[in-house]
Order: sequence, then C-alpha cells, then structure tokens
Amino acid sequence: MSTISLHDTHNHDSHDDHGHHKETFLTKYVFSQDHKMIAKQFLITGIIMAVIAMGLSILFRIQLAWPDKSFPLLETFLGKWAEGGRIKPDFYLALVTIHGTIMVFFVLTAGLSGTFSNLLIPLQIGARDMASPFLNMLSYWFFFTACVIMMSSFFIQTGPASAGWTVYPPLSALPTAISGSGLGMTLWLISMVLFVASSLMGGINYVSTILNMRTKGMDLWKMPLTIWAFFLTAVLGILSFPVLVAGVVLLVFDRSFGTSFYLSDIVMGTQVLPNEGGSPILWQHLFWFLGHPEVYIVIMPAMGLSSEIMSVNSRKPIFGYHAMIYSLIGITILSFIVWGHHMFVTGMNPLLGGVFMITTLIIAVPSAVKTFNWLATLWRGNIRFTPAMLFAIGMVSFFISGGLTGIFLGNASLDINLHDTYFVIAHFHLVMGSAAIFGMLAGVYHYFPKMFGRLMNSKLGYLHFWITFICAYLVFFPLHFLGLDGVPRRYYAFTEFEFMQKWVTVNILVTWSAIIAALAQVAFLFNFFYSIFKGKVSSQNPWGANTLEWTTPVERLHGNWPGEIPTVYRWPYDYSKPGAEEDFIPQTVPFSQTMSSNMPHDFEGNAEAERIQREWEEKEEAAGRTKLD
Amino acid sequence: MVHTLNKEDMKSAAPIDTKPKKFVIWLFVVSSTIMFGGWTSYYIVFAASKGKGHGLVLPDVFMYSTAALIGSSICLFLASRALRNGQIQKQRLFLWCTIALGLVFGYLQVEAWSSLYHSGAAMVNNNAAISVIYVVSGFHLLHIFAGLCIVLNALIGAYKEMPIETRKYRMEIASIFWHFIDILWIYLYVFLLLNS
Repeated sequence: MSTISLHDTHNHDSHDDHGHHKETFLTKYVFSQDHKMIAKQFLITGIIMAVIAMGLSILFRIQLAWPDKSFPLLETFLGKWAEGGRIKPDFYLALVTIHGTIMVFFVLTAGLSGTFSNLLIPLQIGARDMASPFLNMLSYWFFFTACVIMMSSFFIQTGPASAGWTVYPPLSALPTAISGSGLGMTLWLISMVLFVASSLMGGINYVSTILNMRTKGMDLWKMPLTIWAFFLTAVLGILSFPVLVAGVVLLVFDRSFGTSFYLSDIVMGTQVLPNEGGSPILWQHLFWFLGHPEVYIVIMPAMGLSSEIMSVNSRKPIFGYHAMIYSLIGITILSFIVWGHHMFVTGMNPLLGGVFMITTLIIAVPSAVKTFNWLATLWRGNIRFTPAMLFAIGMVSFFISGGLTGIFLGNASLDINLHDTYFVIAHFHLVMGSAAIFGMLAGVYHYFPKMFGRLMNSKLGYLHFWITFICAYLVFFPLHFLGLDGVPRRYYAFTEFEFMQKWVTVNILVTWSAIIAALAQVAFLFNFFYSIFKGKVSSQNPWGANTLEWTTPVERLHGNWPGEIPTVYRWPYDYSKPGAEEDFIPQTVPFSQTMSSNMPHDFEGNAEAERIQREWEEKEEAAGRTKLD
Repeated sequence: MVHTLNKEDMKSAAPIDTKPKKFVIWLFVVSSTIMFGGWTSYYIVFAASKGKGHGLVLPDVFMYSTAALIGSSICLFLASRALRNGQIQKQRLFLWCTIALGLVFGYLQVEAWSSLYHSGAAMVNNNAAISVIYVVSGFHLLHIFAGLCIVLNALIGAYKEMPIETRKYRMEIASIFWHFIDILWIYLYVFLLLNS
C-alpha cells in the first residue's frame, strides 16, 4: 500500500496535466462534492456552533451563580438584554433554548454524524464517494443556512426563541405570548425545517451508500462498528425526522394561519382566544417521537467511534463484535417505542405509562451489553493512551454514570418527583451531552490525520482531556443533588425561592468548573487549527489500524484510491492475533498471506480453505519434525 | 493536497451504477411516507380523544381528482413500457398525458378546497380534523409539483440525444416517485373517507 501512495506522489504532475475537472477555489473548498471536504465543512461549522453554544451556557451559568451581582461587561456586549450588567429573565430563557437547540441538533447531530459519516463511510467501506455527491453538498449548505438563520435570531429586536429546545405549545404557538415567541420562534422553525431537510439528505445518502457501494468482499459482517453505528443512526434519522416536520408544519399553521391543532381554551391577558379543540399534548407526542430517537442519533455515532478507537488502541479485537451490532440494532428498534417516558406527568394513562416504562428499562439491556463489551475490550489490552483513546474511555465513563440515572428517570412513579428538575439536566448532560461530545472529540483526534494529513499535538490533547473530563463531572454531578431536592430546571434566579437558596453556593462551584472547562477548549481549538497547517506530518497508517481508510494515500484524492479499490478479506478487528507477524492485520490482507495466524473460524465454513489451511499446518508440522530430527 | 483522479481511471474502476441513486429515491419515499404518517396519526389520536373526526361528506371533486391521478399513473406505466420496447414516439405521447393528467389533478384539488371552503369547512377551523384535510392534501400537492418536475425531466430525456441508460434511469426515477405519490393520495383519500 505504501507503494501505491508513492506511485501517486510521483505521478502528481501528470495527473494535473490531463486537465480534467479544473478545480477552482469555489469547487474545491466551497461547493465541493468530495465527501472528505464536506466532512471537514461539517466539522468546522460544528466546532464553531459548539463554541457559540458553550458561550451561551457560560452566560446563563453566570446568572445562576451570581444572581444578584452586576457584570457591566455583559451590558457592553449584550446591550438591553443585560441592562445594568445582569441578564434579563427573557434573555435567560432564550439562552437555554438556543444552547439546547444548537448542542443537540447542530453540534451533536450534524456536527457528529455529518462529519464522521461523510468522512468514514466511503473510506471504510471502499467507495469512491457517496451515492449522490450532489445531494451531499446540498445537505451541507442546507445545514449552513439553518445555522445562519438560527444565529440571526440574536440580531432581532424581540430576541431568539425562548420556549425551550422542545418548543412546547402554547408558549411557542402564540406569537404574543413572550417576546421570544415572536419572530425568534418563526426563525427557529424555519431553521429547523432546513436542518431536517439537511439531515434527511445526508441520512438517505449514508444508507444508500452503505447498502449499495461496498467494495468487493465487504459484506455487512465485515464492516467496522463505526459504519454499523452510522448506518443505524441514519436509519433512525430517516424514520423519525419526518415526524418532526409533520409536527412543525402544524405548529406553523397554528402560529401563522390561526388553526387550532395544539391550541384550546386560552385567555391572553383579558382576551379570550378563538382557538378551540386542539391539544398541546399532541405536539409532545409528535415531538418526542422524533425527540427520543434523536438522543440515539446523538449517541450511536459516538458509540461506533469509541468502539473502533478503543479496539485499535487496546490492540485487541473488539469484544463481542456481533453482540455490539445486535445491541445497536436493539437500541434502534427500542428507541421508537419509548417516547412516552418524556410525558409521564402529562396525565398519561398509568397503564400506558407502565408500558413505556418497561420498554424504556429494556433499553438498559443493549446499553449494558455495549458497556461491558467496551470494558472487556480494555481488559488486559496492550493499551496505548493516545488522546483519542482517553476521550473514548471518557465516553464510556460518562455513558455509565449518566446511563445509571436513566433507570431512575425511566421509572414512571419516580419520574413524578424528578420530572423537569435538575436531575434530568444532570442525566442527559452526562449520558448524551458529555458522552457524545467525548466520542466526537475522540473521533477528531483519531481521524485528524485522515482529514488533514497531519497529527494533532498529543500533549495539548492530554491537557484538553483531563481538564474537560474533571470539569464535566464537577459541572454535572452536583446537579443530581439539586434535582433530588426538587429544584426545577429553567428557573431564572435561585434567590427567589427559599428552598433553593442553599443551592446557590453549589451553583458557584458548577459555574467555575464550567468556565475552566470552557477555557480548556481553547487548548483544543488552538491544537486543531494550528495542526491543520503546522502539525507533524502523518504517516499513512499512524495508529496501526486495520480498516480501509488507512490504505488510502496521505494526500487526499477525490476518488480516494488511486487505481483499483482494495478488496476486503477479513473482519476489521484482527489485532494481536496469535501467530501473526505484526499486532495488526489490515482487512486487505488475504488469509493466504497469514497462514501462521489463521484460525478455523476465520473461514466461515469454507471447506476448501479449511483443507488448504490443514495441509499447510501438516506441512509445517512435518518440517518442524524433520528439523528436530 | 486534494486533487481529482483521472476520469478514465475512475470509470474503469467503477462503471456507472444507478442503483445507489435509485435507492436514494426509495429512501425519500420512506421518509415522506412517515411524514404523512405523522399527520394521519395526529388525526387518529385527535379523533380518538375528542370522539369526533372531520365529520364531513368529502366533495365529489376528490373522486374525479383521484381518477385523474390513477389515469396519470397508468399513462406513466405505458410510457415506461414504450421505452422498453423502443417506441420513443409512444413514450413521449404517454409522458405528455401523464403531465397533463397531473395538472388536471392539481386543478381539481384546488377545486375541492374551494368546494370545502364554500360548504363552511374552512382551513381555519376549531375542528383540527378539518384543518388536517387541508394540510395533507396541500403537502401532497407539493409532492405532485415535485413529481411533475421529475416526469418533465424524463420527458426531456425522451427528446434529447443521450445514452439509453440515462433515459431508462430518468424513467425509472419518475416511475418510482409518481406511482408513490399516486398510492400516497389513495391512502390519504381512503383514510379521510374511513375516519370521518
């Protein structure tokens, strides 16, 4: 494979001489149809959105920690939204709403799936590009437009949407309800429709590519777990996002045309509204039918990336490859029948609540299977603690500590106490927030050489990991106790309520931790952008990994492989195989070249191959005997 | 840095394969079905909790429009068969018929809305089940518009000089999509008839 890349470098000029496809700056960096460039566009846009959303969270954390203090600097930047240096209640609601929306959709859905599905699907299954590169490009530009529209709501008089990231009606359906329900909400809805269109175009492309464009020999059970995760994530998206569109369309009709899909019996001030007969609960059903699969859309790519990275860096096959896939499939199916656990306190029939509780708790089974498999993969591995590996382990840690509280919340009767408290905040920020972002960061550190041909600095990576890891726990762990004490989420000032006042000191700790964690991201941002231009040049296969993407040349070609696409002969996890010369055997190496390490089950019942192997072993044995004689 | 491979290289390595792109259309069909599924399930839950549906006798125009749409689907089927048999003239004729009947369908849908409106069942209504009729038929009409563009694309393919594979590919895309929106409308119509 190194010869291929050399060959390519030598022919670099002649390639250009052919004069096909003249690439301008516009077609190469802006309206690119190359999946690798689109992946980078998604990643960098996602990083920018993540920094913005993190900034928003620091703003409202400042309000929560020091509700009575004035910060004149805030007024300088935010003007009337922080009059007298204190964040206004309206703006506080806008901050939490947009923080949630950006993090869930723009960072952890588009930023994560968009980046790594685009980058890895063609590279790991051995395809030149996506099924429809044009649709892929369109997907990015819809996403970009959605980002711009979402951010533009900060520059309008009435401010961004403020009804929470779940935009429950009637707050979101009545433009005059609060200032954020006006134009800001309209922009939110437009942005989300564009976003859904983008992720559908992306998801459809991913599924079609994986099912139709695998290289020779790459059957479904030879695909890396990353691809399985991206595949099932895309399937989830295709099946659930359209329902959100259906719900959003009805909401738009309620807001703009006066229908009563979600509205009934409302008095605004002294005015009785004419709307009758609708039900806001129906929005919750439509929303959470997407909303719950959405949390698996967020976490499954992180799971896939972590599985791959942990196997590579433990120098061990992933433990329970098939079990990992079946649990992903199990999670995918179950995620569609649990949405009711978000609605236990809406007056749901207790019997129905019981059903949703059981389905919810069953999800713990595949999740636990995955967790134990990760731990067993680490067990007695020859572990290399690269920054990517640390982040992958961090992902598992957050998934465990956040997942455990899911068992409490999934319980219909316990949820009566815990619903809409900080316990929920703590739960999902650990299990899908921190875990998913750690999976994403693991992917960034691990696949950086595949994107930019260079390595990121690992010292800065360690610094980034340890500060972020410790601070994330310091931020979210204490919130459990607030929740158990009944402190509700989304409240503006803890000083207003007697029983919440004692938690202000905890909030100060949490806010300081959040600020330090935010500062740690500067190390990452510097590392990322500096390494793009000045990082150490990477070798072709810097981590000694088996998967196909590392057989492509370091220079990233449009079309991925010069000459023919490699053929796949084995599963992607032949690490430290007994009898092998090296501790990894790439998927492109046929069994005929690794006679000394082949196992009976490698041949999947192929009698001919087994016979050849047996003959070879007998010959070896005979040769050994004669030597001894 | 990134540079494009020789086009001939790419071709020799991977012959043009339309299967993935056709699959993309199928997946679009799935997600679109689910969107309409979202609305019809809204309707079911709404009707179940209120104990009432839209409670209307749907205007007869819907029946004529349904007939027009089925007719257009048959024409498209005949056009595909004509292309398979190499009868380009016939294919063009039937494609024109498909488009014409599609336009008739669109016109009749608008007629149906106006007849609904005049019978007092306006979109802005305190019975959300009636509003759903407008939403689903409206969004279906948007699909018809997209479908007309795709059929037009196949028609352009029947006039322009291009490889037979590309022609067939365009026809197949048009068939998948147009038959889908045909079946989708029948589903919606029957659904609204049964759940009055």
